[in-house]
Amino acid sequence: MHNFFWVYDLPTETFAILMIAVFVGFYWAGLIFLRPILRQFVKNTRGANDIVGYVLSCFCVFYGLLLGLIAVTAYQNASETSANVTHEAAALSALFEDVSRYPDPYGQNLRWILRDYTRYTIKYAWPLQRRGIVPVDGTIRVQAFQEKLIDFQPATPAQEILHAEALRLFNTFLEHRRMRLFSVNTAIPPVMWYVVILGALINIAMVWLFDMKFVTHLLLGGLLSAYLGTMIFLIAAMDHPFRGEVSVTAEPFEALYKHMVEE
Amino acid sequence: MGQQQVTGLTRSLSRRDFGRHAGAAATLAAAQAFAPFMFVGCRPTGVPAGRKPIRVGLLHSQTGTMAISETSLRDVELFAFERINATGGLLGRQIEAWGPDTKSRTDLYPKRAGELIDWGAAALFGCWTSSSRKAVLPVIEERDRLLFYPVQYEGNESSAHVVYGGMVPNQQVMPVIDWLSSPAGGSMKKIFLLGSDYVFPRTANFVAKKYMATKGLRPAGEMYLPLGYRDFGPVVGLIQASGADCVLSTINGDSNIGLFDSLAAARVDPAKLPVMSTSIAEDELRNLLPENVAGQLAASCYFQSLPTEENRRWVAHFRSEFGHDRVTGDPLEPQWGLVHFWREAVERAGSLDTEAVRAAMREGLTFAGPGGLVRLDPKTQHCTRYFRVGRIRTDRQFDIVHQSDAPIDPDPYPQIAFPGWSCDWTEGGITRGPEVSIDGDI
Repeated sequence: MHNFFWVYDLPTETFAILMIAVFVGFYWAGLIFLRPILRQFVKNTRGANDIVGYVLSCFCVFYGLLLGLIAVTAYQNASETSANVTHEAAALSALFEDVSRYPDPYGQNLRWILRDYTRYTIKYAWPLQRRGIVPVDGTIRVQAFQEKLIDFQPATPAQEILHAEALRLFNTFLEHRRMRLFSVNTAIPPVMWYVVILGALINIAMVWLFDMKFVTHLLLGGLLSAYLGTMIFLIAAMDHPFRGEVSVTAEPFEALYKHMVEE
Repeated sequence: MGQQQVTGLTRSLSRRDFGRHAGAAATLAAAQAFAPFMFVGCRPTGVPAGRKPIRVGLLHSQTGTMAISETSLRDVELFAFERINATGGLLGRQIEAWGPDTKSRTDLYPKRAGELIDWGAAALFGCWTSSSRKAVLPVIEERDRLLFYPVQYEGNESSAHVVYGGMVPNQQVMPVIDWLSSPAGGSMKKIFLLGSDYVFPRTANFVAKKYMATKGLRPAGEMYLPLGYRDFGPVVGLIQASGADCVLSTINGDSNIGLFDSLAAARVDPAKLPVMSTSIAEDELRNLLPENVAGQLAASCYFQSLPTEENRRWVAHFRSEFGHDRVTGDPLEPQWGLVHFWREAVERAGSLDTEAVRAAMREGLTFAGPGGLVRLDPKTQHCTRYFRVGRIRTDRQFDIVHQSDAPIDPDPYPQIAFPGWSCDWTEGGITRGPEVSIDGDI
């Protein structure tokens, strides 16, 4: 499947048009070259269109269910990743506010590291994630923060409470960060894609078996293929949560960084 | 109806029909076959250009005791590379920087340098302490890469594989003595030399003593303390007892907290017994209580408060990127200049090859940076630097109280300290003189 990652570098509308063009093109090409061969199997069968129609209907139920379930899975993956990114940014924001209450230079040093982490996430980690690469340099920033956080010795009961809360938030942040990194290569398994593509081919092949005027075939079969292409585009676009234009963005981090820089 | 169509389809095709169908099929097949190649040229915004990026390595400690200073240096390097990328890149390619953590451990610097070169780094930027720079030297010399080193250091070194951006003693320590002993500096005659116990303070003070001797001065005292030393109470007592007019401090790192706390605790007035530090910049002031350091002095090539338009713009841009409470300083400004020297040399050479880049640098490069005009001296691969003295304010910034009339040429081997030694990379490299013992008595 890695050979097809270039499609995620395309603008969404181009990606969609490409998928539709491929499916419709395949249908039309097959209509001319393969249909005459396939028709041999049913040409003397009485009521061939009805038989093909029944089989296609039955097939479409299973195929439709499969497509629907996969689309939901892809959406859920993207949605969960998006929620996780939001939670990570929220934990980071709360942590930033907490360490801002620390006495300087601890507070300032901790704020600077969190700001640096956020900037790194936006400018360096996100482009890597979009390429399916798990960014590792954020770990250095996290370690630097942890080192400084642990270095702080609370001197008053209020500082003790604040420090305990900061440590708790730090753990929450770490948890969400780790989940984001795990999500970088979250995707529908290749075997599912093979079934989807095979199903699409069978679907198209069955339509070739219908006995219709050539122009009608071009039109109706083309429409069906276009919709098949659209469905598969939808799943592909939502798959790989960090790839492509339909992907989880760094927006929560960008909003947070704007606040951090202005503070 | 179905029967009619079966009949229709099974009839033999005319030549015209066949041609029409075959043409349509060929067009569709071609469109399908070539679609990936047609669309693959399209790219979304934010994706780097297709050409392989130029890789550069950043050698910095991002955790451990040195992190507080070195992370700022890493940030200014990233900032410089981002600016170059935003303006079209270098040789039509984007720059990709990677900075693994050296964890404030000298032994990790050569290891990381090797990893960066294995990764494909065309040049390395960074190091802070002299020990880290010296540890990296064998790796870059063996594997033929350039290191751009921005920090002021003790001199007595020159490598064809290092481009030095910071001040050497003839640009910092010697002018400090000139200034302190001048009426503008208070006509100080008794200077106490206080330093951390490692190569830079010992060598810098060696040069200082030699230079003071040429002016008929002798140090009021000399003392070295381990890095990280904090208990300066007795040291302050000794300084006061020595009758010193001022302290020339090469104390580094966290020890400065102890020094200035002890001076404040002993109610030492900076107007009467000022401390002139060579290793305190805006970043270091963050860890010092303003009331304990206000009025003290620092010698540097650059201060953030430098009132030039170019500097104001640079500081504002840096802060808008990294935060309004971030500070610039020495050696951030020198490193900014070094990145631009590298860029210009690569552009002139039209290549990333180390020898070609070095040859381009030897044509002589200048850069009008935030700290003023800087020239890369092709003979020493060091930079010309302004000498500036700043007085610490309560807002953790400096009032610039003195600036040299022009940038001072670098001399890594001042003849008063290293007679017979010199370096000229345009003609033969290093000329060796007699061995010099840094610990020898003047």
